[in-house]
Amino acid sequence: MFSFRRPAGAGNLRAHSLRQLYRKFLSENTREARGQRLLRDWLTPEQRRQLEANGYFEVTGCDSGKRYRIYRGRMTNVYEMDDLGSPRKGWCFVPFGFLAVGDVMLAQKIALETSEDAALAVANRFVPKNGLPSGHP
Amino acid sequence: MATLIVMDHTGDTRTYFDAKDAQALANAEVQFRKLAARGFTAAVRNETGEVTRVRSFDPNAEEILFFPRLVGG
Repeated sequence: MFSFRRPAGAGNLRAHSLRQLYRKFLSENTREARGQRLLRDWLTPEQRRQLEANGYFEVTGCDSGKRYRIYRGRMTNVYEMDDLGSPRKGWCFVPFGFLAVGDVMLAQKIALETSEDAALAVANRFVPKNGLPSGHP
Repeated sequence: MATLIVMDHTGDTRTYFDAKDAQALANAEVQFRKLAARGFTAAVRNETGEVTRVRSFDPNAEEILFFPRLVGG
């Protein structure tokens, strides 16, 4: 006859697994995690590759054709690049309200790609100092 | 199911609706107009990730994303 009794310790293992699964669920459903997922979903494949490799992605301004680099962060994270890949100036603009980092970056991307002049009209300019951020947290 | 995604302090709030349901479509359009009136920007994307700003409700869009008005940082 087969015995279907659980081996000793199986209950603890099951509880441990359930706790781990619950923690994973919680960590993947924080607003920051959701923001990162939304951002990744809305990037082009090339932008996604840049973000994963370098901690930033680049967009092209719809009105000027200029290249912008968007680094991880909520503020002072957008740089207008020159043809040589150096930062020409920095632009600071964010969606109103305290949004997740991924959401801010996505809004910045969409704004520059669809309403560049309007986005820069509300932005504060800053001078890039000490080169560009490292791109990695 | 079509989706309206609104960026907010929780991350984002999603409203799913059946685009074949006339009432659900009408409700979605009402929500679109309310958000637009509050200064939200609406955008859609295609399969390659190219984004377009939309100024009126598109009943054929699978996903419409909204983010609040921009301010200087």
